[in-house]
Amino acid sequence: MSNVDSKEKTASSIPIGRMLRSDTTGFTFGCLLPEPEVPLFGDFVKAPAQQGLTEIIGVIHNIVIEDDLFVRQLIAAPDLPDAYIQDQRRNRQIPIEVSVLSVGYSSGNTMIQGLPPQPPVTLDYIKRCSKNDMIAFTDRQDYLALILNSKETPVDELIVAALQRASRARPIEDRALFLIQAGKELARLLSDDLSKLDSILRRIQVNT
Amino acid sequence: MGLELNKLSEQVNKMGTTLASRSADIAARLPKARATLEKITNNDPILETKIERALSLHWTGAIPTSEPVHAVFQCPKHPERANIVAADGSQVYPDRHGIAMYYLINTGSIVFRYGLDEAPVCSSHPHLFYEDHDLYPNEALIPSFLVNARRDIAELRELAQIATREVKTAPTLLMLDNGLLLYLGLQTKEYRQSDEILSEYLETLSDIESTDACIAGVIDRPRAANVLRLLRLYDIDNATFDTDEIRTLGDYSQLTDRMLFSTLKPGERSAIFVNASPQNLGKYLSLGQKIMFYYVNAGTKEQPVILRIEIPEWVANQPDQLSLTHAGIVEQARFGNGFPYVLIRSHELAVVTWTERGHLEQMVAGSMRRSGISAVISRKAQGKQWTNSAKRRYGQ
Repeated sequence: MSNVDSKEKTASSIPIGRMLRSDTTGFTFGCLLPEPEVPLFGDFVKAPAQQGLTEIIGVIHNIVIEDDLFVRQLIAAPDLPDAYIQDQRRNRQIPIEVSVLSVGYSSGNTMIQGLPPQPPVTLDYIKRCSKNDMIAFTDRQDYLALILNSKETPVDELIVAALQRASRARPIEDRALFLIQAGKELARLLSDDLSKLDSILRRIQVNT
Repeated sequence: MGLELNKLSEQVNKMGTTLASRSADIAARLPKARATLEKITNNDPILETKIERALSLHWTGAIPTSEPVHAVFQCPKHPERANIVAADGSQVYPDRHGIAMYYLINTGSIVFRYGLDEAPVCSSHPHLFYEDHDLYPNEALIPSFLVNARRDIAELRELAQIATREVKTAPTLLMLDNGLLLYLGLQTKEYRQSDEILSEYLETLSDIESTDACIAGVIDRPRAANVLRLLRLYDIDNATFDTDEIRTLGDYSQLTDRMLFSTLKPGERSAIFVNASPQNLGKYLSLGQKIMFYYVNAGTKEQPVILRIEIPEWVANQPDQLSLTHAGIVEQARFGNGFPYVLIRSHELAVVTWTERGHLEQMVAGSMRRSGISAVISRKAQGKQWTNSAKRRYGQ
């Protein structure tokens, strides 16, 4: 195993937050100060469910940093020293809320694309999916329909971000084929909305 | 039936009118108070004699120090590097309707290393009291004011511990969100714990003194009138005045020291005074912990905020320490809308919310059930739980 693989595996096994609330279609977890690399819009994450029998796979579609009256008061303070900013960011227990759209789940060695039978439970740890998890899960493209049918997410942006993550998880030589297959699936799903299809396909080509 | 606000509207309107009228009356009497303050000079033998007599009558006014009583002091320069520390505490009182008899004290503290751009160090320490000697110190259930006193001691001890560590790196200011005089006297006459608690408190203050850290108790919106009592004493012509004459404020009735010193400009402090309370001039003084105080404007030109700052005599006597209390509190208040930032944060770290209290009750209940004991609240508490949730009226 290369150093890169080992580093990536370690990063994916570190919990990035704890479950706040959930339902069948998605869940919201809380975390403290975000690191530069986690959590990111479009990231694949996983959460345990059914007492560990399954692991729900989801895509981050919203990150909310809450405020309160104390923070609002500080905004108006002139020349705010860095120590106060660090205190607010690092010490105060105001979680950053991260919303996730459930797109599938794993049961044993099987990856299933669709809504999970049971949502994760409060305070469960949320972890980032490893590259291998992402490759295995996005081997089929059925999850794209779940994202497209989602009502509360910025669908176009989320598909672009998720496909970018899934593509970059793969070796360089496999990425083009992966994106072509995803493009074909999107063309099938968006046959009645060519402008949206065009917008997504252009950004996948340009950015990936 | 809950609070029917519509039935209160007339009373609330009358209250508003009364408050406006009282405010105008107070404003009209303030100039006389300020003029009297200006007239008082230090080393006035007549006033000194009056103070001596008043003290024998348990007077609770303000005794002038070497600083002229009407003097105003600009905010000194803040040291480039200092440790600003605050501690606060909160409690869950014993509840005879709860699932078990216990009480909780939670202390929160913050160490703000001024001059270093690093996140402050925060901590909180919960402590559960459930043994018989904790709950029934005098063969009766511990009263809430004794729980409060234990909380105050816990706060002070937390500061003493932090001071030992922090003074090694920079001048250190410790802050509390209340005065430094424990008002136990009247409440605890029948309790032998009164003396023990006060001794413990004063010993901890002495421990802090020996660390070279300074300490200040910060009182927001103070209602005290010690300096006004001094003015009242100055006005009395009768040299053989009695207790009744000095018990009231006369022309200064309903005024407060805060109003008197509301002319302080941002950052300025008043002169330092000695609190003449019998407790202070008794046990506090005898153990070298006499408490003094000054007022400071920790707000802005647009929004003045007059705070009362209580300090031990050993802080008042050391110019560097006195300056640090003054500059440290004003600087911290810049980021707390007129109240020290570290005190806001230490309160936040200490406070036990209703949700957290509920979680604690669940933990206690679980522990009791695992030990084979039934964990039920009283019928009365159960009834309150049923009715205190959001009211619903059906069929209306």
